Amino acid sequence: MNKKKEVIRTESVSKVYNPDTIPVHALREVSVRFDEGEFTSIVGPSGSGKTTLLNMIGGLDEPSSGQVFVHGQEITAMSDRERVAFRLEHIGFVFQYFNLIPVFTARENVSFVMFLQHRPEREIRERAEQLLVEMGLEEKMDSRPAEMSGGEQQRVAVARALASRPSFILADEPTANLDTVSAMNLLDMMARMNREEGVTFIFSTHDQRVIDRARRVIRMVDGAVESDEFREG
Amino acid sequence: MKTYLILAWRNCWRNRRRTWITISAIAFAVLLSILMQSLNRGSHDLLVENMARYSTGYLQIRDVRFEDDPSPDNAFEYGDAIEKEVLAMHPDVRMVIPRIQTFMLAADDEGTKGALVMGVDPEREQVLNGLMDQLVEGRFFSWKDGGSGNDGGSVNDGSSGIEPSEAVVSAGLAERMELAPGDTLALIGQGRFGMSASGLFVVSGIVKLPVVEMDRQTVYLSLPQARYLLSAEEHVTSLLLLPRHKRDTDDIAQTVRTKLAGTELTVATWEELMPDLLEFIKFDMAGSYVLSIILYVVIGFGFFGTVLTLTLERRREFGVLLSVGLKRRLLSLIIFLETLMVSVTGVLIGWLLTTGVLLYFVQNPIQLTGDLAESIMDYGWEPILPVSLDPGMFLSQGLIVFFLAVGISLYPMAKIARLKIIEASRS
Ligand SMILES: Nc1ncnc2c1ncn2[C@@H]1O[C@H](COP(=O)(O)OP(=O)(O)O)[C@@H](O)[C@H]1O
Ligand SMILES: [Mg+2]
Repeated sequence: MNKKKEVIRTESVSKVYNPDTIPVHALREVSVRFDEGEFTSIVGPSGSGKTTLLNMIGGLDEPSSGQVFVHGQEITAMSDRERVAFRLEHIGFVFQYFNLIPVFTARENVSFVMFLQHRPEREIRERAEQLLVEMGLEEKMDSRPAEMSGGEQQRVAVARALASRPSFILADEPTANLDTVSAMNLLDMMARMNREEGVTFIFSTHDQRVIDRARRVIRMVDGAVESDEFREG
Repeated sequence: MKTYLILAWRNCWRNRRRTWITISAIAFAVLLSILMQSLNRGSHDLLVENMARYSTGYLQIRDVRFEDDPSPDNAFEYGDAIEKEVLAMHPDVRMVIPRIQTFMLAADDEGTKGALVMGVDPEREQVLNGLMDQLVEGRFFSWKDGGSGNDGGSVNDGSSGIEPSEAVVSAGLAERMELAPGDTLALIGQGRFGMSASGLFVVSGIVKLPVVEMDRQTVYLSLPQARYLLSAEEHVTSLLLLPRHKRDTDDIAQTVRTKLAGTELTVATWEELMPDLLEFIKFDMAGSYVLSIILYVVIGFGFFGTVLTLTLERRREFGVLLSVGLKRRLLSLIIFLETLMVSVTGVLIGWLLTTGVLLYFVQNPIQLTGDLAESIMDYGWEPILPVSLDPGMFLSQGLIVFFLAVGISLYPMAKIARLKIIEASRS
């Protein structure tokens, strides 16, 4: 196996919430590295720090101590404004729920991030359609989120995350609100995009069926990495 | 920009009912405010207009001393030569209207009343104010009645038995003195430089004057007769200039003032001639402004409440938008656009409704009756509610709502500026 290219690296990242009142140690000295093309699941009981870790990697929150590097750039040293631009270029997000702009159709939601990136109109149109087709949503392109099932909405969210051609996609419990069929379907799509387009996926979950699909599983307990195992996909 | 506009517009309609309530409230405030102002202004404008047409003129030339001592002593010489001269002063002077006026006692068998005696040229007055159309009884004296001036027509105090001259009496005075056409009226007072002035006049007609203060006490004589009565054959107390358009007034005043510099004559505009009335109007308008402000404060709070709820409800959405890479500034812009769109829709609907209502009132003036009409007439108004269509009112209400919207948008903007993405996405 040849040496893979590093995408993300955290160095002793700790996060303490409410340090002045009742401190909550959400992350304790987490040092972890993610390489290009990974399909990694972060697992652990509720409250173990999965969301906090993803937020740190995504530049949505700042650690109490430690650093986060993306492509060797220290995002923890960036200004808020720089981070917004950085996120737009490099990171795709899929949240647990309420990912989409409710007044936009699927197509418009996917187009929106590319619009924010000032991509040419033609590219935006073509890529939005292509991604939605790949996600099996050709029928739903002009539907609004309220007219779609939870699974369909999450697939739109994945399409949107992919649209900006990010270095990696962070998905925080993307299947938590989905039934089994929809959850597996979403995972299939994510896995295929990972396989075919080499997109790096990092997702948190506590759903065993989802965990089984990951090629690397990082298990967290109490804000620390308890185990980190690679498996054959 | 188009995408943001679309996004903002669709966001406006996420909660249709709430948006419609807000829009209606704004439209209602705009409607009520403009209506209130319009009725106020309409009656003020009418009052001022009537004052100008029947009393002061839009602008008038008079002796500099007349303001402090409005007696025939301070009349000035007037004839064809001066008329030509004045008409030549400014191209927008359409015509000149000479008047000689003073206060006298009017007497009949019943008693005496104070009267404003005005010597006028009815044909010219007609152009300025339609005086002859105001006739409610009898007829107007014709210019020729007194045209020959001192001879024949008028009856000087000493002489009697010669057929008396004619006077047209205002309806209020006629009522107070129980005069009807055909009755005789004596006018007693002072002419120029202490000359006693008295004469007998037959009431030929009665006019209803829309300025109540004048309607109570005016006696119109023909100009030559009044001049003769006041021993001021060559004189007038004021020379009204009729501008082609009301808006020319100030321009004419400026020119004429310069041309009159160094003479004993001066020119005054209607604004300068009725300062008390204009002061009263300002005061009266203040009342409707206060009401309007209260209205907007109430509606502003309602609107603010809606925006407040909306901001709280959408915290998570804002968090998601910011995390996918939308700049805070742009998110603020979208929210501002939403507030603006709702406001603008409200204002437009308000304008439309107002225009409709006002046009209806123009076609069907509100006629007041009963005690209300009486008391309004006592103040000098006619008992109809005239409306003003001044576009300035529409604009100012629109601006108020605009600034209201800007003010209200500051709250969500401040929230967005300080929003912590992770906290927003946790809520
Ligand atoms: N904004 C916050 N303020 C205070 N405590 C927080 C905050 N966010 C997370 N926590 C706490 O940090 C710990 C880790 O939370 P989280 O990362 O959300 O866990 P997970 O996603 O694994 O359920 C929990 O104990 C949680 O209560
Ligand atoms: Mg979580």
